[in-house]
Amino acid sequence: MEAKKSMSPIQWAKSRKGQKALICVGFMIIPLLLLFVFTYFPFAEMVKFSFYKMKYTTPVEKRVFVGWKNYIDVFRRDDCFGALKLSLFYVAGALIQLVLALYLATILSFKVKGGNFFKGLMFFPYLISGIAIGFIFKFFYTRGFVLDTILQWCGFELENLPFWLKDQAVNNWSLVATSVWRYFGQNMVLFIGAIMSVDAELYEAADLDGANKFQQFIYIILPSIKTIVTLNIILSITGSLSAFEQPYVITDGANGTGTYFVIMNEIAHTSQKVGLASAMAVVLLMIIFVCTILQNLFFKYVFRDASSEDESYKAKKARLKAEKAAQKAKKGAV
Amino acid sequence: MKMKRAAAIMMVSVMALSAAGCGGSSDTSKDASTDAKDTAEEKEAGETDAEADAEDDAEADGASGEGGASAGGDLNYADITLGEDYTDLTATISLFNHRTDLESDDYKGTKWSEYLAAFNEMYPNIKVELTTDTNYADDALMHLQSGDYETIMMIPAVDKADLSTYFISYGDLDTMKSQINYATTWEYGGEVYGVPSTATTQGIVYNKKVFEEAGVTELPKTPDEFIEALQKIKDNTDAIPLYTNYFAGWTMGAWDAYIGNNATGDSTYMNQKLLHTKDPFKDYGDGTHAYAVYKILYDAVANGLTEEDYSTTDWEGCKPKINNGEIGCMVLGSWAFPQMEAAGDNGADIGYMPFPITIDGKQYASAGADYSYGINANATDDEKAAAMVFVKWMTLESGFSYNEDGLPVAVGDDRTKLAFEGVEFLQDEPSVEGEEDLLNELNSESELNINNGGDSKLQAIVEHAANGTKSFDDIMAEWNEAWTGAQESAGVEVTEE
Repeated sequence: MEAKKSMSPIQWAKSRKGQKALICVGFMIIPLLLLFVFTYFPFAEMVKFSFYKMKYTTPVEKRVFVGWKNYIDVFRRDDCFGALKLSLFYVAGALIQLVLALYLATILSFKVKGGNFFKGLMFFPYLISGIAIGFIFKFFYTRGFVLDTILQWCGFELENLPFWLKDQAVNNWSLVATSVWRYFGQNMVLFIGAIMSVDAELYEAADLDGANKFQQFIYIILPSIKTIVTLNIILSITGSLSAFEQPYVITDGANGTGTYFVIMNEIAHTSQKVGLASAMAVVLLMIIFVCTILQNLFFKYVFRDASSEDESYKAKKARLKAEKAAQKAKKGAV
Repeated sequence: MKMKRAAAIMMVSVMALSAAGCGGSSDTSKDASTDAKDTAEEKEAGETDAEADAEDDAEADGASGEGGASAGGDLNYADITLGEDYTDLTATISLFNHRTDLESDDYKGTKWSEYLAAFNEMYPNIKVELTTDTNYADDALMHLQSGDYETIMMIPAVDKADLSTYFISYGDLDTMKSQINYATTWEYGGEVYGVPSTATTQGIVYNKKVFEEAGVTELPKTPDEFIEALQKIKDNTDAIPLYTNYFAGWTMGAWDAYIGNNATGDSTYMNQKLLHTKDPFKDYGDGTHAYAVYKILYDAVANGLTEEDYSTTDWEGCKPKINNGEIGCMVLGSWAFPQMEAAGDNGADIGYMPFPITIDGKQYASAGADYSYGINANATDDEKAAAMVFVKWMTLESGFSYNEDGLPVAVGDDRTKLAFEGVEFLQDEPSVEGEEDLLNELNSESELNINNGGDSKLQAIVEHAANGTKSFDDIMAEWNEAWTGAQESAGVEVTEE
């Protein structure tokens, strides 16, 4: 007791326990500080802004507190909440993108001639900057330019082709296609990584049992990579809710392509309604939270039977039944 | 699992805080225990102190010397005589502006490097560092907001009430009026915070040859004549009659510039009457006011008198096109005129005509300041003086506004390449006192953003006209509604019909 009391801070710092604590803190304090200063603090400020009527340049003392008005406006205005409808295009695109990525990943994870070359080729778009992609595709879709020329080679008449960015029936699909083109390579590489980790002996065993490639995919590959599939779906769908780059660069959000983020940007920077834009951001965050939680629950349900760690649903039901029966039997015996 | 994780995070942060305290205390005790080290440190400290003192002295000397040079009371634009005052002032100032093209080697007019070289002939000790930006309007606001901005900036869209926070005054309004035109552009509370770089007027840039070939012998003076002329171009030539420049966005916002003087012939309309007008976008029935301006755009698009695919228009690409006669005309301020001339070999074909609206038999044109120079209020006194010298030099000596086909800025200067015969130039009157920021507020509230980046509302006109999704009167009715709503929310008295 005496010895412990006289331990000076230096001694404590030199002790094993002290060293451990100091090192832990030493390593953590910088990332935590960065996280706080650059993420949580600005976020808290934004939440605060969302209750005010203010412009960027309004001095602090002139900002007007308006309570929930900004939030009510977000839901009332057609252009704010209605813009989320456009996200459905991007969600559809995200699903196509995942199916495509999964398909190609499965093919490429078996022995394919020039497999690495194709992998590189398909991953390449992800490495180009979004702004550059915007410019590429603006010209790609321009009347009589790349896409139209290619289609004319295939026998289409220019008169029968739509204006890819002008025609409001197709322009959102044009943008979604760009987004798919850009991101499917990245999804594919993630899938390939996951598929690589599947034990090769399983395929061998399946071959012996006479399973074809499709059956192998359904019963071996898909259950083994379900975590990464789930993750990719969640990331793609939250990503499509906040689609920004393509519409902003290619069409400037005009002509019915203004997604939620583009509208938010316009409200914040052109009309300088910073409060309303902040409220939109908070609402979108909430929507993304809800979507993620719903998706998580959904996948828990879908993959319940396939899960190897958890007790399967049927087994659990059977066990509970057995327990109940046993209890009844016990009672009866007493 | 989630709970555990949350608990772990809590623990970590608590530890981080508590241990931070420990770290501090252990440090001090370490210092106390090592005497020898302390003395060494003291010695070092002594040395650095001495050094710092020496530096301070030097700085003080320099400051007093320079102070002597500028000891002429308050800095004032009118009192500066170029070539005599501040000639021994040494300073480095920075200049931030939007004219990226003047930095390019391909520019056919006078480049920034030539202006700065000429300035340094008169003031060799004032060094001007130049930054230009293609996304100026947004980036300039960001710079201001950060608090760390250039010595001289083109004043972006700030509220007039905030002007004095960011920029210094050049002098009071009456004095400045004797020095420069358009002094009221950035005036607030009787002080002038901006000197225009050049002044522009509003009309239509067109290709004379295309108009001739189409058989348009007289320049159109009314909306109907204008649409007729466009139709002739479509029928008789291969040129695109009117190029909207839809994609670039700000080129569409440029249409807002015509609803004031050009469409009403009333210089108080834009800054005073519009604010109090009931339904300013209604049809006045005589081919005037905002309704007539925007209807020209709607009709041109609806009748197929514009490019076939508006969504892929290209701003840089339109310049050689109008120069070569592939485009008939574009609705842009006179600042665009020199750029179209310089974009090819047919500069002589390019002309600039008044906007086709006639009010009681007379045409009017807005003349107004382009971007104005503002001087950083947080700069040192020397920098401020150097900046003001530079601004005055740009206004009086550089020939900038003449070279850029603008209207003269300095009072008494009448050199300009623009000539609108029989057209009366009007300058927007400033807002009534107390209403300086009202237009900004109504703009923000109604989200119409007139003359303030409201590109998307004009893009919407093009979309609706091309797709037939909404009639022009419906669009105008919506705008009226938005305007009325904004007037109500800002508590504006509606007095004008």
